[in-house]
Amino acid sequence: MHIVVTGMGIVSPIGIGIDRFWENAVVGVNGIAGIQSFDASKQRSRVAGEVADFDPKTFLSAKQIDQTDRFAQLALHAANQAAQDAGSLTCYEPQRIAVSLGSGMGGFATFESSAARKIQNKSLPPFSVPRIMTNSAAAWIATQYGFRGANLTCSTACSSGANAIGMALDLLRTDKADAVIAGGAEACVLPMTMSGFEALMALSTGFNNDPAHASRPFAKGRDGFVMSEGAGILVLEREEAAKERNARIYARVAGYGCACDATHIVAPDTDGQAAAMRIAVEDAGVTLNQVEYINAHATSTPIGDIIETKAIKQLFGDHARQIAISATKSMIGHSIGASAAIGSIATIMTLHTGTIHPTINLDEADPECDLDYTPNQAVRKKVRTGMCNAFGFGGNNASIVFTTP
Amino acid sequence: MDTTDLEAKVIAFIASKVDNMDNSTITAASTFESLGFDSMDTVQLLFDAEEAFGVTFDGDEVKTLRSVGDIVAYMKKHPPEAKS
Repeated sequence: MHIVVTGMGIVSPIGIGIDRFWENAVVGVNGIAGIQSFDASKQRSRVAGEVADFDPKTFLSAKQIDQTDRFAQLALHAANQAAQDAGSLTCYEPQRIAVSLGSGMGGFATFESSAARKIQNKSLPPFSVPRIMTNSAAAWIATQYGFRGANLTCSTACSSGANAIGMALDLLRTDKADAVIAGGAEACVLPMTMSGFEALMALSTGFNNDPAHASRPFAKGRDGFVMSEGAGILVLEREEAAKERNARIYARVAGYGCACDATHIVAPDTDGQAAAMRIAVEDAGVTLNQVEYINAHATSTPIGDIIETKAIKQLFGDHARQIAISATKSMIGHSIGASAAIGSIATIMTLHTGTIHPTINLDEADPECDLDYTPNQAVRKKVRTGMCNAFGFGGNNASIVFTTP
Repeated sequence: MDTTDLEAKVIAFIASKVDNMDNSTITAASTFESLGFDSMDTVQLLFDAEEAFGVTFDGDEVKTLRSVGDIVAYMKKHPPEAKS
């Protein structure tokens, strides 16, 4: 049984909609700028990947806007795109259409604003809780479309989106659903959240006057990740049923692997990352040598990019140098729970279009990052097997393998 | 502010909270229910009204507010706090 991707939707700092996102990704458009959504003058990291042209009023009523956090709004917009792209799903019973989403922080914009009100002894908005809860985005998608199947939300920090897609794959393989809306959403370009990551020394602070070069995975001089926001949503179903309804098939979701480092709450670990990749490759039924492309987790932290490089070399051996790698985060920053859903879309588009998008800001690589990261220029190459990596706090590692149909 | 002015302001505010609703369809007698607000929508509406007008609806009294006129009457009885 093969599971396929038949619809996609995306909201990102370099474009809303698959076509716009991909056109910009291929030419290496930078999506990082000085923070606009709040006064960031007191932050140590004052750059971010924000979706500046996102307006919920274009698709939600005033009441719906009142009842939703920004992360759910981003998810809903991407889900609308994906549903439209996939075409009619009316051949499936509503009880057989599931939603599986990932988000690391959930409705944290609402949490932060509610906390600020409480400290000032002001009343809280009545929809504070339903806006904050991490499963609200999945619930809103189901409510909008009447999808009555399983409604799951995975919160595994930066690997949330990958695990949500993996969970969707499991739902379809075990016949618990006929179609799954799967992906991730995040909107935490926020003062308190960013201060928390600043305290961990995880964010870039040295490029506040040069935002376009702040997110620089694998490059010399990188100094942390750049916070960003967005959403990526896929429609997954069984290949046979998709063909029966004449759906466009972008790619197969061939394998999924997840593994916990079980070593440290935030520090990454080579063994755990290599384990997730190995399990995903085995699950896909391909050999290590068949993997031609990796959409790296690559957040632009000094240690993370080295550990991922080592993990790829540890697992793939000599073949590691034959694999084309690229880092979507070099253009859009790190959208936490949405990042692997967006990385998956980039992987799928690589398979679908035969173009590998570049890793920008990679003029000089860190000597410890010595693989082919597709620096600065896109590469035309027919790719049949690609993998998306996602590694999160908590030692959560997840990899997904996509293949051409 | 006299009652007519206040009523007009409250009506305009409520109309702004509903897509495609014209001020002229709302009167003081309009209940929240008749305007399409369910109980949770009404709670949100009253919260938004607190923010917009600087008024604080008392926890018990808020349950008796069912119409546009009820909000206007409440605000006449409990004038909004002057903003510094």
